[in-house]
Amino acid sequence: MTTDSVPAGDARRLLSDVRSLAHRVRQDQRLTWVALLVLAGVTFLGIPFDWFGMKVHCLSDGSCEFARRGVLYYWPPALLLAYAAIAYSYVRAARARGLGARVLPYAVTGAVTTVVFTALWVAAALYLPSHPQAFPSWVMVVDRLFSPWGMIGIALLVLARLERNLPLLLFTVVYLAVMLMPLEGAFGSETHWGTRGAFLPQQILAGTLLLLGGIGFRRAARRQR
Amino acid sequence: MIDEAESSHPATGLDEVVHQRVRLGILTIAHEARRVEFGYLRNQLELTAGNLSKHLSVLEAAGLIEVEKGYEGRRGRTWITLTPTGTAALAAEIGRLRKLIDRIGTTITEEDR
Repeated sequence: MTTDSVPAGDARRLLSDVRSLAHRVRQDQRLTWVALLVLAGVTFLGIPFDWFGMKVHCLSDGSCEFARRGVLYYWPPALLLAYAAIAYSYVRAARARGLGARVLPYAVTGAVTTVVFTALWVAAALYLPSHPQAFPSWVMVVDRLFSPWGMIGIALLVLARLERNLPLLLFTVVYLAVMLMPLEGAFGSETHWGTRGAFLPQQILAGTLLLLGGIGFRRAARRQR
Repeated sequence: MIDEAESSHPATGLDEVVHQRVRLGILTIAHEARRVEFGYLRNQLELTAGNLSKHLSVLEAAGLIEVEKGYEGRRGRTWITLTPTGTAALAAEIGRLRKLIDRIGTTITEEDR
């Protein structure tokens, strides 16, 4: 690089340099694969908690009432720990590379979405047993959005925005689209494993998508270095 | 009525401290990274330590960056942070460069007619 002032005619080149430097810094700050792998791990670990923590009461007419206590006890602390671990990893890796990190808004969003999901689930757990009702399908879409798996997607959207990471944005859109689909009892899970099994497909799909995303982003990051 | 500042050529408003390729690079990296270490800047801008130090001194004297020296274990590390003045100067410089490109584009189009 020269140390002389650049004439005004070189404005285009200067702007192009600015863009490419900014892009390089953003790439060096990213640790997307760690975030996705941590969230995948938390998701897979949550499956037995949901399975064994679920209270199922089947009536003589064949219908069953259930309460997903495992989700309520496991996910809030697990998500908060996961976001803390992700933020710590980002700061540590960026510092080792000689950079600051821009992960704090993501961790804060993660914590806020965790509080929101917990509040809604506690409210539902208190209200619904005494007011059983059938909800229209759009309410169920909102319900799936406010599940831990939906909230993970919302926080990932914030991470994609912070990192100006288009591949992560595309990944998150696909992830959220899958998570909002009615997967309860899909692939015959309810037939094979009963009420508990009905909730397996969403969790297995969420964990698998996050795991595959983590592996993919890890490979892409290694190729770039 | 045309505002005097708007009618003047964007190149006349360019700040010599910022409108310099290396210094603009330092400000860009510091802005994007929030905080950047001396070694990272040296590698990215492909400069010698002495050359980079000179540019950092110019930016620090102008109040555009803050330099913080410390240790990590036994290793000395120098961290550079953009000041609010530096952030404003960088934004203004990029704005002027964009205007300049627009102006050049308009002039070329008019000459083509």
